Amino acid sequence: MPMNQTTIAETFVEFADTLTADFDVVDFLHQVAVKCADVLGVAAAGLLLTDQRGALRVVAASSERTRLLELLQLQHDEGPCPESFHTGRPIAVPDLAAETGRWPRFATAATAAGFASVEALPMRLRDTVIGALGLFGTRPGPLDPVTLRLARALGDVATIGIVQARTIQRQEEIAAQLQTALTSRVAIEQAKGVIAERHDLDMDGSFELLRRAARSANRRLSDLARDVVTGEATV
Amino acid sequence: MSLDPSGEGIAAEGVWARIAHLAEGRPFTMALVCRAALGAVGVDGAAVTVAAGTDARDVLHASDTVAAELEEWQITYGEGPGVDALEGGGSTLVADLGEHHCALRWPVFTPAALGSGAKALFALPLQVGVIRLGVLDLYRAEAGGLGARLAEALDYADAATALLLDGVDATHPDSDPHQAHVHQATGMVVVQLGVGAAAAYAALRAHAFAHGRHLGEVAADVVARRLRFDGDQGHDGR
Repeated sequence: MPMNQTTIAETFVEFADTLTADFDVVDFLHQVAVKCADVLGVAAAGLLLTDQRGALRVVAASSERTRLLELLQLQHDEGPCPESFHTGRPIAVPDLAAETGRWPRFATAATAAGFASVEALPMRLRDTVIGALGLFGTRPGPLDPVTLRLARALGDVATIGIVQARTIQRQEEIAAQLQTALTSRVAIEQAKGVIAERHDLDMDGSFELLRRAARSANRRLSDLARDVVTGEATV
Repeated sequence: MSLDPSGEGIAAEGVWARIAHLAEGRPFTMALVCRAALGAVGVDGAAVTVAAGTDARDVLHASDTVAAELEEWQITYGEGPGVDALEGGGSTLVADLGEHHCALRWPVFTPAALGSGAKALFALPLQVGVIRLGVLDLYRAEAGGLGARLAEALDYADAATALLLDGVDATHPDSDPHQAHVHQATGMVVVQLGVGAAAAYAALRAHAFAHGRHLGEVAADVVARRLRFDGDQGHDGR
C-alpha cells in the first residue's frame, strides 16, 4: 500500500484545516475523493449522496472524467453504492466480473471502463445513512483491513464536511444541506460546459481551470461556478 | 422521522398520477400541482412564485387567501423564507414562525405572516443548478416540521420545476447516467448561443423533442462536439 502513518496524519490535518467557517462543500468533497484515490491506493473514488427520494446522485469524484461520472451515476438505483446505502453496510466486490447477474448494467459498464473490483462504504451521520463512498480498483481482490479502516475514516470526514456548515440538529436541516450540495454540483457541471466551450477544453481540463480560478480569486468553487454560468464572472 | 427512503421509490410516479387524477383530462397547471401537494405533503396551502428577470416576481398560483398573502408580503417586503430560497439559500424550512430567530431574520415579514394565519412555512426553490425558476411555498396554520414528508415536498417542487420548463416527461431526469452531460451541454450552449442557462436548457430540450431523441443523447452529442447550436454545422448534425 502506498501509504504510511505520516501521510495519513497529514491527510487528516489537511482536512481539519479546510473545515473552516466559509468552506465549500462540493470543493471539499472533491478533495476527499481525490485523497481517497491517492492515499488508499485505489484507481478511482466517488461520493454519492441521497436525493432523499430513494436514489443516489454523484456529488464528487476523484477524476472529472465523464466516463467515471457516468459510471458513478449508473448507480442511481443499481450497484454496490446503492446497496451499501440501503443496508448501511460496506459492500465488498473483490471481483466485478462475477457480479453481472447481481448488477447487470453496472458490472458490465464498470468492467468495460477497466475496473475489476469495488468497495462501497456507507456514509453515516449518527443513525442516518446519507450516501455512499465507492472505491474502484483495476485489479481484482479485496482491500486489506488497514486500508478499509482508513477508508471508513475518510468517509466520516466527508460526512462531517457535509453537516459542518452550521450546527445541524434537525433531520430536515441535514436534508436541506444535502440538497444544497447536489444543486451546487449541477451548477459546477454547467460551469464546466461554459469553460469547455470557451477554451475548447475537455471536461476534466475545464474543471481544473475552474478550480484554479476559484483558488486564486479566493472564492468558493460553487459560487464562482454560478457566476461563470450567469456571466457575472469569466474564467 | 428518517431520511431512510425505503419504500419511497414510487413517490415520483405517485406525484404525476395524483396530478393527472385531479386534472381529469385537462392540461396540467400549477394550480393542480399545488392542490395535489396539499394532501400529499400535509400542508394547508401552497403557492408558486416565479422569478421574472432579476428583481421581478410573479405569483403563478396561490391555493388560498393565506397563501396569496404570504406571497404578497414576501414580494412587498423583499424578505421571507421564499425570498431566501429563491435567492440561492436552498430549501428554507420554518417549523415555527413564532420562534424568536424568525423575527430577527425576517423582521417585517414574520409578524405579517403570523397575522395572516400561517405558523409554519416551507420554501423550496425550483431550480436546475444555476437556473433559478421560482419557489414553492407551503404553509401550515399550525406549527410543526415536515419530518419525513419533506421527501414528498421535494417531489412536488420537482413537478413544479418540470411544469415551468414545460416538460412533464422530466419525472425522473436524474436516473439518466447522462445527467452530467445535460448540465455540461447546457453550459456549452450558453456560450454558443450567448443566452442564459434557462434558455440554453430549453434549446437542448426543444432539439431533443423536435428530433424525437432523448435529452441525454442530444447532450452527449453536444459534449462530444458532434452537435452545435450556433450555425452551419447545424442543428441536425448527429
